[in-house]
Amino acid sequence: MKVENLELPRVEGEARLELFWKDGIIEDAKVCIASVRGIERVLVGRHYMDALVITPRVCGICGHAHLIASVKAIEDALGIKPTEKARLVRNITQSLEVLQNHVKWFYLFMMPDFILLEERLRGLYEPFKGERWHSAIRIASRITMGIALFSGQWPHSSYAIPGGITSEPSVKELTSLRQILLELKHFFLSYVVGMEEAEFVKCLKEGSWRKLNGDAGLFLELCHREGLLTLGSSYNRLISGGGLYAPCGYFMKKVVHGRLKVDQIEELNAPSYSGAKPVRYRGMPFETGPLARQLMSGNLMVKSMHREFRDSFAVRVLARVLEVWSIAEAIELWIERLKEVLHEKSTSLGRFPSKATGIGYGIVEAARGTLIHRISVRNGNIQDYAIITPSQWNLGPRCENFLGVAEKAMVGLKSKLHAQMVLRSFDLCSVCTTH
Amino acid sequence: MRVFWLQRLTCCGNTHSFLNYESLHILSKRLEFLYHPSLSLKAQEEAVEELIKSGEGIDILIVEGAVRTDEVETRELCKIAKYVIAVGNCAVYGNIPALADETVCGLSYRFKERKGLLDEGFKSRSGMPVINLSGCPAHPEWIVGTMLMLAEGIKPELDQWGRPKEFYSSLTHWGCTRNEYFEWKVEAEELGSKRGCLFYHFGCRGPLSYSSCNTILWNGVSSKTRAGTPCFGCTEYDFPRLGLWETKQYAGIPAELPIGVSKRGYIMLSGIAKMFAPERLKGEG
Repeated sequence: MKVENLELPRVEGEARLELFWKDGIIEDAKVCIASVRGIERVLVGRHYMDALVITPRVCGICGHAHLIASVKAIEDALGIKPTEKARLVRNITQSLEVLQNHVKWFYLFMMPDFILLEERLRGLYEPFKGERWHSAIRIASRITMGIALFSGQWPHSSYAIPGGITSEPSVKELTSLRQILLELKHFFLSYVVGMEEAEFVKCLKEGSWRKLNGDAGLFLELCHREGLLTLGSSYNRLISGGGLYAPCGYFMKKVVHGRLKVDQIEELNAPSYSGAKPVRYRGMPFETGPLARQLMSGNLMVKSMHREFRDSFAVRVLARVLEVWSIAEAIELWIERLKEVLHEKSTSLGRFPSKATGIGYGIVEAARGTLIHRISVRNGNIQDYAIITPSQWNLGPRCENFLGVAEKAMVGLKSKLHAQMVLRSFDLCSVCTTH
Repeated sequence: MRVFWLQRLTCCGNTHSFLNYESLHILSKRLEFLYHPSLSLKAQEEAVEELIKSGEGIDILIVEGAVRTDEVETRELCKIAKYVIAVGNCAVYGNIPALADETVCGLSYRFKERKGLLDEGFKSRSGMPVINLSGCPAHPEWIVGTMLMLAEGIKPELDQWGRPKEFYSSLTHWGCTRNEYFEWKVEAEELGSKRGCLFYHFGCRGPLSYSSCNTILWNGVSSKTRAGTPCFGCTEYDFPRLGLWETKQYAGIPAELPIGVSKRGYIMLSGIAKMFAPERLKGEG
């Protein structure tokens, strides 16, 4: 057996991939993530409000999701509810973070791999040079501006507080945001799917993913040529904590809607090769992320593709690309509702209690999937803080009974590049995983 | 200018802050980005090997993230660079990763001590010490602004922490839209409002931190204090302090006063300011 140890470019943070070859086929794969930063330890003994500043620093790309998970955990522990206005604004900023992540991931992290297969794609997707590479960054930075309109800055804002938000947005912010959303939709229609809105919506309703043009169409064509439509499949069990636009539930042979039972989520001990701990639901590994959410919300294009190719590389990627549209549509509805409650106070609790005791959970959907924070507070101070990240679900290591989700997806592949692409389709975030 | 971007213990926040820079497409025509771990096609080991083989060196080495005290490769790369930029609070002071691990530090500092990876007298090939761009994260205009100065042949003047004065010589307080409340000592009693100063109750470090967050706005539109969030002083060596949302007070006076203000002066002025504060600044308005 040949063992190959690869360093991975274009992931968030550092990671290595170990491939075990036999007769030209990958027989086993290990995702190795080192260097733990120890953020959970840093939180213990601090006032619970400090978590709102420190946990976003777990990740520079989905820090906002950590902020919202943190504030929800605190609210749960303290028995506080946010105002509707704050809830809507938080939904919007959290969703915008997901959007910028999706755009960057597809154009900056995924598509450049195809250059190695087809040189002609350089002009489009080459880092720092490609035309589309630059348009993607430009639109992503417009989206982050949308977050900053409400939260003050992105990355690393701390504007969500128990009971609400610190800012007091007005119609000015809403109209600016609407403008940004229109730009994003324009980008999506003209570049990502290459269709007029009416035509795209029709395809969406019919579930006819084969008609997609633009970069998504090109992606499908390349996948078809490379055999990636069927490759990179894992357990075909998917889970979503709910929130944003999609309901919670899981897929195991069929979609089951309903709240996740926190006591069924288990974090196991990490094996020696990884700094990340495996996570199991009802004792089993599940994949989390856009594909899970799109199945929960019943996107017909994704459903029909999933029926045909299960949880393959191409389905996983396309679900994420199409989620851009689902989220943009959800934000528009939240803006409409927000207009009606804009006069409300930004927070139900202007002054946070300095002393409080309780245990709480915050479950949110980050770009890459379900993120869970658990806080235990006594007399205002953090006794214990635990974070389960999406990358732990998808890229976490094996346990006694199961390979990790991404590990399983790489078994049976015949090319090193394919293995890296499949791994990247889960959006490897080692910074999150090794909080 | 050939730019080589290195990541160590990081959350990648500075990379994504940098990607917010509005005209990256023009910037990448002026600067040649040899390598960036999150963006380039090749892997870091390969990129470093190629770089050393080429013998051409680096014009600008950017280090993002905290480092370990025994990192040989990072030290070697710093030596062959014309300019070294530590971007973000982790690379400058060690920051959060250094809180729980004694072997973690910044390039020059470990919090306020000169116990970083590089020797105290370190100079890059141009004769400049490490250029520190503190902040969690650093603002894209500070990162790009510094690179552009270097590209124009301008060596930025640095403060005592090795930070370009151009971006770090004024307090975060400057340009804060709540300054009038500060001057008249009108305190924010609650969070979630555009009104009132956050310095008195909510731990705002604006008058105690050096940054241009309120003059070079974030994402072109806002800042923490404009969004009603106190400044947490993330450009300073002591970020993140304990009790980030509270102002420690002794007998009703903040334990730490704005930089350069005497306790006596503060007591006298704040009493008078409060007494004569304009009515329009009080209440919900």
